[in-house]
Amino acid sequence: MKDIKIQVNDLSLYYGEKKALKEITMQVPANKVTALIGPSGCGKSTFLRCINRMNDLIPSVSITGQMLVEGVDIYDKNVDVVNIRKKIGMVFQKSNPFPKSIYENVAYGSRINGINDKNTLDEIVETSLRQAAIWDELKDRLGDSALGLSGGQQQRLCIARTLAVSPDIILMDEPASALDPISTSKIEELVHELKEQYTIIIVTHNMQQAARTSDHTAFFYMGELIEMGKTNEIFTKPEKKQTEDYITGRFG
Amino acid sequence: MTHFEIELDKLKNVIQKIGALAENQVSEAVKTLLLESAAEGKEVKKVESKIDKLDVKIDEICQRIFALQQPVASDLRFIMASMQISNEIERIGDLAISIIKKTKNIKEKHDLISKFEIGEIAREVEIVVLKTNESFLTRDSEIISTIFSLNNAIKTRVDDVIAAIIGEMKANSKVVVSGTNLVLVLKHLERISEHCSNIAESVYFMVNAKIIKHEKFEDL
Repeated sequence: MKDIKIQVNDLSLYYGEKKALKEITMQVPANKVTALIGPSGCGKSTFLRCINRMNDLIPSVSITGQMLVEGVDIYDKNVDVVNIRKKIGMVFQKSNPFPKSIYENVAYGSRINGINDKNTLDEIVETSLRQAAIWDELKDRLGDSALGLSGGQQQRLCIARTLAVSPDIILMDEPASALDPISTSKIEELVHELKEQYTIIIVTHNMQQAARTSDHTAFFYMGELIEMGKTNEIFTKPEKKQTEDYITGRFG
Repeated sequence: MTHFEIELDKLKNVIQKIGALAENQVSEAVKTLLLESAAEGKEVKKVESKIDKLDVKIDEICQRIFALQQPVASDLRFIMASMQISNEIERIGDLAISIIKKTKNIKEKHDLISKFEIGEIAREVEIVVLKTNESFLTRDSEIISTIFSLNNAIKTRVDDVIAAIIGEMKANSKVVVSGTNLVLVLKHLERISEHCSNIAESVYFMVNAKIIKHEKFEDL
C-alpha cells in the first residue's frame, strides 16, 4: 500500500533466550508521526532499533518475522545494512554531536558518501540546518565547535545531521527527554514540520508529548503491541483496558 | 489512592453534594406549588448560595486537574462532564427558586393546578431530577434512557397543558394573571427536565465516549 511506509509482520526479538518483542504486527503510515509509548522495559526502544537494524550490533539478539520498509524486508540477506541506515536516520535521547565544527557535523554524512564539492556541501548544510529550525541561530558561527552549543541546540544539530543524508524515515528515541520546556517545544514543533517530508517514529515516556506530536500511537507492554490507533482516539477512548490504565497513570 | 485519584474522588463528592442540594430545592418548589408546605425563604436562599459556591468549587477543582494532571481518556471525559453537569445543576437550582417566587403570585392556583393536573407534571419532574442524580452515581444506561423518555413526555405534556391554560384564560379573564404565572412555572419545570436530560447526555458521554448532544433520543 502506498500510504504504508513500514509493514511489520509477526516480528519477535530475543535477547538470548529472553523474548523481548512478541509477534509484533503493525503498519506505520508514511509522512505521519507515530509515537511508541509504554512503561520502561516494554520493548518500545528495542522495537525502534529493529527498524534500522541497530540491534544487529548486539551479539545475543535474534529476530524472527518481517520488517518491510517500502515492501522490502530489511532483514533479507541481500539487503545492505549501510543503505538502510542511510535511508532510516536516528536521533538519540542524549545529543551526540561529533567533536567538530557545526558545519562539519552536518556535512559529515555527505562527505562519507563522497560529496566534497564546497558549494554542494554549503547548500546541504544550510538546507539541513534550516529544516532543523536552527539556521538563524547558527548561521554566523558555523565554524564554532558543536560541543559549545546548548543541549537543545545540540539536539537540533543532530537532527540536521540526520536530515543531511536525505533519509526517508527518522527514528527518534526520547529526543527531548533531557531538554528544558522551551527546547522541547522547539523539537516538537520541528517534528510537526518534518512529517511533511519524512515518516517519523518517536519513542517517548512523556505521554503529553506523544499526544501533542503524533498522528498515531502504539502502546507496548511487556514486549507486546497492545493497541495502535489514531492518537486522538488512543488518548480519548482507547479500546483496551491496559492502554486506558497506562495513559491514565493507573499502572506502569 | 494516588494524589490524582483523590482529586477525582473529591470532584465526584462535590458533584453528588450539589446534585442533592438541587434535588432538595426542586422538592421544596414542588411542595410550595402544590400547597403542601410553603418554602422557607431564608432556607431556600441559603441552599442557593451553597449551590453557587459548590459550582465555583467544581470549576476550581477541574481547572486545577487540567493544569496539573493533564487528564486523558475516561478521566478527561469525567472532568469535562463534571463541568457541564455542575453548570446544569446550578441552573436547576435557580429555576426551582423562580418557581417558588412565581407560585406566590398565583391566587387561584389550587383550582387551576387540580384542573390541569399540574401536580402530576411536577411529580414527574421531581422523579427526573432524582433519576439524574442516580445516573451520575450508577452510570446506568437504562436510567439514562429513562431520563430521555421522561423528558420527552414532560415536554409534550407541558405543551398540552399550556394550550389548555391559554384556552381557559381566553374564556375567563379573571384567571389571566394566575394563568400567566402558571404558564411560566410550567416552562420552568420543563426547563428543569431539559437540564436533567443535558446532564444525562454528559453522563452518557462520560461512560460511552460518544457525544450525543443535539441528537434525537430515538436515534440513539
